[in-house]
Amino acid sequence: MIVDDELDFLETIVKRLKRRKVDATGIDSGTKALELLEQEHFDVVILDVRMPGMDGIETLKEMKKKRPLLEVIMLTGHASIESGMQGMQYGAFDYVMKPADIDDLLEKIQGAYERKALHEEKVRETKVI
Amino acid sequence: MREFQYFARNLYWYSATILTAGLFAALWLIQETAFAAAALGITFLSFVSNRALTRRVEKASEQKRHLDQQLIQSQKLAAIGELSSGIAHEINNPLAIIGQETEWIWHLLKKDSLPSPEADQELRGSLQEIVRQVDRCKEITHKLLDFARKKEPLIQKADLNKLIEDMARLVEKEATQNKIRIVRDYQQDLPRVETDPPLLRQVVLNLLNNAAHAVEKDGTITISTQESANNTVELVFRDTGCGISKEHLDKIFDPFFTTKPTGKGTGLGLSISHGIITRLGGRISVVSEVGKGATFTIELPVKPLRGEP
Repeated sequence: MIVDDELDFLETIVKRLKRRKVDATGIDSGTKALELLEQEHFDVVILDVRMPGMDGIETLKEMKKKRPLLEVIMLTGHASIESGMQGMQYGAFDYVMKPADIDDLLEKIQGAYERKALHEEKVRETKVI
Repeated sequence: MREFQYFARNLYWYSATILTAGLFAALWLIQETAFAAAALGITFLSFVSNRALTRRVEKASEQKRHLDQQLIQSQKLAAIGELSSGIAHEINNPLAIIGQETEWIWHLLKKDSLPSPEADQELRGSLQEIVRQVDRCKEITHKLLDFARKKEPLIQKADLNKLIEDMARLVEKEATQNKIRIVRDYQQDLPRVETDPPLLRQVVLNLLNNAAHAVEKDGTITISTQESANNTVELVFRDTGCGISKEHLDKIFDPFFTTKPTGKGTGLGLSISHGIITRLGGRISVVSEVGKGATFTIELPVKPLRGEP
């Protein structure tokens, strides 16, 4: 799931990811993203930091509360150390600056997906024990 | 090792006992009764002293164990004491402000039943301040929980140059505004490291942020990466900032230790970083002198040992 309020950007990135065979869904606000999370299954979320209404950090916090194993990559146009530190502290997988190179982003999505799988495996193991 | 020494000492005494006993038997055989009696005496004495010595060694090691336990316990208590005074102090400040603002609100409300425009303005100001202080408390408790929770690392292979570069770019914009230059000295063929990337990012960002704060304006932050002995990689963050005094250097990784003014930093950043690096099987250290900047070095194993905490 890609969350960004800039619709042009959102459309392009979803299109480009789909071309690379990534099953991607775009949505334009944090609140809507949280609703969608209830209905559908997602592995990785790419989340814009600066959005009107519920901002990226707030959305990240809520997402992690609802789905602790979900991996979230923060995307930002305005590099801010403060929000970066907050994001990492609340459990974001990575922090990417706009404009993001698609290959770079793809690699990070791969890493985040791998991490989620590792995490789920670990949870299963502990349940067996 | 201690057990072995203990055993060796015992063996010495037992063999002495056996030897004199043998001597006694030999002398008995050649019928030197007087000598034999002496040998028998020595045998008996050595046996007794052996028993006494064994008992004494046992008692001493028992005492030592007890003292060790006491020492660990008292160190633990000291750490808990320091931690709780840190928490109390950090939470007390915002609580005091909240208390004052509340009193002021009471005062304003008592004066007139319907607040005048000025009083209304002040009421809103006070309420805003209370919200701000509550947020501050929330941040402290959240970080503390984070500190205590000890998220278990998830190990993934990572290109550390890239990982650091991403964080450096994040810091660079703000740094450039303050005329801080970031110099990179990455070893190009650095081996990929098995580590927990998000946790490490948190540490790197924290160190870069601290460095930028220490420099303030006009200076450089140098980041270098290199492979070093024993299958480890070294990440070095050097700044030209204000430096750290000797007495602060010892406490820099302690929870709640901060030199920033109250309210500007909880003093948990470096202790959290320290915890993360330790859990990743690495080490973090600092070298600094007042006025000469500071250098933080992280050593990480290329492959962490399995089963390590």
